[in-house]
Amino acid sequence: MKANITAPMTPASNLNSKVLKKHGFLWEMKKNWAYYLMIVPAAVLLFVFAYLPMPGLIIAFQDFNFVDKFRSPFVGLANFKFYFTSTYAWRTTFNTIFINFNYLIWTTFFSVSFAIMLNEINGKICKKLYQNVMFLPYFFSSVVIGKLVTRIVFSDGMGLANQALKLFGQDPVVWSRNPNPWAWIIIFTHVWKNTGYQSIVYLASITGIDEQLYEAASLDGATRWQRIRYITIPLLLPTIITMSLLSLGGMLRGDFATIYSIIGDNGLLFKYTDVIDTYVFRAIKQAADFGPSAAVGLYQSFVGFILVWGSNKLVKLYDENYALF
Amino acid sequence: MKTKSLSDRFGSGLMHLLLAVFAICCLYPFILAFMVSISSEQSLINYGYRLVPVEFSTLAYEMVFRDSSIYTGYAVSIFVTVVGTILSLVICGMAGYAMSIRRLRYRNVIAMYFYIPMVFGAGLLPWYLVCTQILQLQNSIWALIVPMLVSSFNIFLMRNYFKTISYSLIESAEIDGCNVFRIFFQIVVPLSTPIIATVTLFIALAYWNDWTLALWFIDKRSLYPLQYMLYKIESIMQFVRQYGSMGNIQVPAQTFQIATLFVTIGPIILVYPFAQRYFVKGIMIGAIKG
Repeated sequence: MKANITAPMTPASNLNSKVLKKHGFLWEMKKNWAYYLMIVPAAVLLFVFAYLPMPGLIIAFQDFNFVDKFRSPFVGLANFKFYFTSTYAWRTTFNTIFINFNYLIWTTFFSVSFAIMLNEINGKICKKLYQNVMFLPYFFSSVVIGKLVTRIVFSDGMGLANQALKLFGQDPVVWSRNPNPWAWIIIFTHVWKNTGYQSIVYLASITGIDEQLYEAASLDGATRWQRIRYITIPLLLPTIITMSLLSLGGMLRGDFATIYSIIGDNGLLFKYTDVIDTYVFRAIKQAADFGPSAAVGLYQSFVGFILVWGSNKLVKLYDENYALF
Repeated sequence: MKTKSLSDRFGSGLMHLLLAVFAICCLYPFILAFMVSISSEQSLINYGYRLVPVEFSTLAYEMVFRDSSIYTGYAVSIFVTVVGTILSLVICGMAGYAMSIRRLRYRNVIAMYFYIPMVFGAGLLPWYLVCTQILQLQNSIWALIVPMLVSSFNIFLMRNYFKTISYSLIESAEIDGCNVFRIFFQIVVPLSTPIIATVTLFIALAYWNDWTLALWFIDKRSLYPLQYMLYKIESIMQFVRQYGSMGNIQVPAQTFQIATLFVTIGPIILVYPFAQRYFVKGIMIGAIKG
């Protein structure tokens, strides 16, 4: 309404900002110093823990030692060569991407399905009950979840998994010595833990859908399946894309806490579960291989950045509105 | 409005079934684990894990509470959670509020500054070196608090909420001579209880559940938070066996671990029924405004 009264809105505000700009940086600081002061603690902490480490990436090109520290001798790409020519490079990269990709696919699949179901069913009490119980594992630390997985479900002797195998007449498995199933165990532990949380996110965006659309569809004789297929899922797509894009940046990082609390230092299981983060952790804490660790860190950040940027570009080509930035 | 055809009713039944199965999958391991923790070690060896304990025993819990490390663990975890949550909330809240003020000229530059680390990080090693070489955080309780104080995500979440508060309210308070900090703490914060409650819970949960910071920086047993104690339970059991005042009682290996697990998550279970409401609300706010 106001825009109608002061019709030449844009020129006026342009003029206004030009006047403000004349006052410059110091004027702004003097006028709003208290607000900027409020940002200082967070900005300083972020600087120390996120920006200050960045120059440290130079170690990736050095033969680091504690005497010279950041003035250690430069060795060119030797650290990258060390990692990429080792057997670890392919194995950890493959495991990381395999595990993360499956995290993304299955968590999205289950949480979208359950969100749609929670939206469709009647009965407030049932709905609340399912939601609260599904949400429960999200509240516990990865150590708690890790202990449940290794001591209760997949323990060597009498765990739940072996009980189930026995029920079907199969021999019990010595899980702690058998590397094959652990990638999937890690994947479904993560899915199990996070589905409840994510389904609430999706449910929130389903409840934001205009009720009239469903009413109109019902009047036109749409079945429940058609309503889900042609209204709910297409309108949920932007949220799904945003959430997936957000997790793409971490594609080479992985859920260190969950994986390390389940596998720990059990070398027998590394074949399918050793990811880049666990490799780097061991390289730093146990072997003190600083140069290669920094090189791997740079590799992770670089690929992560390319992935986010590239997939955002792709999404933008498909539909401008779905892009993150 | 919804027609109740046969196929619809079948569909509803199926959905109830699937949701119930998943809900049971989420709950069952916890219940079974609890039952294991109150069984006697011998009955576990003889009969395996049972949903109804064959032989009831509280020995494992008695052992857990007799060892002093659980108390120091609780003290560390409570200190870290309380101090960390309060500091983090104040620091992130103030930053989020300032960035929500439209007349702040550099707020977009600042938002960019907070956004970049969400996309690009230096990796673990430089971060580790900053913490140990520059800040000397190893074996200090602050190692468990300071690295997690700032979360860009929480800052943006709160900023988005603060943006919805009417600016004229803040302006009129300013005209009345109220200073910026008082406006924030006495007007804005009380108006933002839903988001504050949610973020508080998120932060507190993150502090309570974190054990990776201890993994990186803590070697001293007296600084172990509860979750890290649980992670190191095998070596702690070794310690209890050797130096504990248990006399000649055998430490029940299986049940001791699970009992410790339940002791460490006790507060979460107690808080959960009240807290989950705020979580759901907060996620809804975040998802809609996001």
